[in-house]
Amino acid sequence: MSESIPPGGNPPAAAAAAAAEPDGERERPVSKLRASGISISFGGLKALDSVSIDVDPGEIRGIIGPNGAGKTTLLNVICGIDPPDHGAVWLDEQPINGLKTSQIADRGIGRTFQTTKLFKGMTVLENVMTGLHGKMRASPLAAAFSMRSVLREEAEAARRAREVLEFVRMLEFADDEATSLSFGQQRLVEIARALVSEPQVLLLDEPAVGLSLTRVAEVDELLRRIRRERGVTILMIEHVIRLVMGVCDRITVLNSGRKIADGTAEEVMADREVAEAYLGAELDA
Amino acid sequence: MRRLFSRRNVVAAGLVFFAVLPFVANPYVIFIGNLALMYILLSVGLNMLLGYAGQLAFAHAALFGVGAYTTGLLKLELDLHYGLALVAGVGLATVTGLAVAMPALRLRGLYLALATVAFAQATLWVFTHWNSVTYGGAGFRVPPLDFEPFTPRPDIGVYALTYVIVLASVPLGWNLLRSRVGRAWVAIRESEVAAESLGIDITRYKAIAYVVSAMYAGTAGGLFAGMLGIVTPESFDLFQVIVHFCMVIVGGLGSIWGGVIGAVGLVGLQEVLRAFRHLQEIAFGGLILFTVLVIPGGAVSLLKRYLPGWKEPLRRTEHDE
Repeated sequence: MSESIPPGGNPPAAAAAAAAEPDGERERPVSKLRASGISISFGGLKALDSVSIDVDPGEIRGIIGPNGAGKTTLLNVICGIDPPDHGAVWLDEQPINGLKTSQIADRGIGRTFQTTKLFKGMTVLENVMTGLHGKMRASPLAAAFSMRSVLREEAEAARRAREVLEFVRMLEFADDEATSLSFGQQRLVEIARALVSEPQVLLLDEPAVGLSLTRVAEVDELLRRIRRERGVTILMIEHVIRLVMGVCDRITVLNSGRKIADGTAEEVMADREVAEAYLGAELDA
Repeated sequence: MRRLFSRRNVVAAGLVFFAVLPFVANPYVIFIGNLALMYILLSVGLNMLLGYAGQLAFAHAALFGVGAYTTGLLKLELDLHYGLALVAGVGLATVTGLAVAMPALRLRGLYLALATVAFAQATLWVFTHWNSVTYGGAGFRVPPLDFEPFTPRPDIGVYALTYVIVLASVPLGWNLLRSRVGRAWVAIRESEVAAESLGIDITRYKAIAYVVSAMYAGTAGGLFAGMLGIVTPESFDLFQVIVHFCMVIVGGLGSIWGGVIGAVGLVGLQEVLRAFRHLQEIAFGGLILFTVLVIPGGAVSLLKRYLPGWKEPLRRTEHDE
């Protein structure tokens, strides 16, 4: 089972990166997560066109943009689901493109999805424990014989899963069927599942979509706690402007596969191109 | 009443029933009991691949056949000890399962189904036409087994061996399912993308599912050759595929106990309909349809709904409970 994409087999990653560098951002000492010159097409449609993004350690970064801007595609490129045609991704300045999605997850990038993907047939606790898969060592043979080391590892996994469920305030639902929960609760469980392996970076795809205002406030508070208490860097797509403006340190704006702005909430709001993208070009006054 | 039918009691009663059967029943009933025990292995093994890992693969009956042919031929041609022949049968079925898995890992859904049906048919063709080795369509007789000094009766010997193997391998499967392996399988079934994003190597865990289910199928095959005393290709045709699927679906997809219940229940049904083979096919097909439409969780979901203590890890429940 060799890797499907040999390292560097993606059109020379280093070269693409070098080419993308000049148009890169200002100098930064160390970035947590960096994607550079990402381009990807699906059947002739250019989903991303030379997009670069640079996230600092401990930052909460928002990605906004109209539908079809390429936001989810960018997350898929970062976590290895969609290999880019050009460009490269670094985690802690280590290149990660070309790795399998599961290997990227093991390096410390957690992910939630736009449409919640909790596993049906599992309890909330089992779902969260699945998030620890890469941290566990039990071989199938040892597992079949329920070796003592396996049981100990299972108990530890359950303990950690309960701890993170407590963190997102869902512990009381631990033994419920995951897909029987309300939509908002499922989102929290999905965040817990991504958090339990203690990732360095969390990619969230619209964590607040479809939530009530009180729930949005809870998510806002949760994201701050994730950063403060767990030291996780967050990159999230979000349409709920109240959440984005409130919690994000910086915001990246995509439109039709291109990055059109990158800055603080105030800077982005003041940007003419952003206003045009959202409200239409006729706005010039 | 509800307490009476708790899982612990039902399992204990089943174990006692199958333990006592050879002492009290006539040879025919012992054979049927042996068949039921053997089908538990097939059904539990297929459930791992189909019910837990969610791979719609039809190679199980062929692997069952590989186990039966290998064990039977080694006994016939080399007069190998039955235990060794059985181990070799399991080995070859497992290797064949892995060989099926290699191309199958790249396929999903309908394509996987078509490729594995083709494999099953090709295997059947080999059983039927490779005359110099398999004795063709008429098959061959397996020399009588010898279980001295344990018992003078070969049928009771195979029965006891099957009983012990079921007693060992069902709990092994149960342990596997409640570990990270079982969770990885269900994760793959529900969403490959989400599974990968949690660090699950889906290629590896699908391969493990194929191998484990092939081991169960090969074991059942070797036992089948021993208990029936004759190996013919028609035991491993598409109808056998339907029987396996029927057991898993009617018993309960994604449930170990569902597999056990389906195997025992359908062997009973098959015996009732023994005289009418065509009726069997209709009955099994109808039963699959009925289950899918009316009780999608299978028989075990009814037990879970109405009786306490039937919960199991990674349980698949219906939301209307």
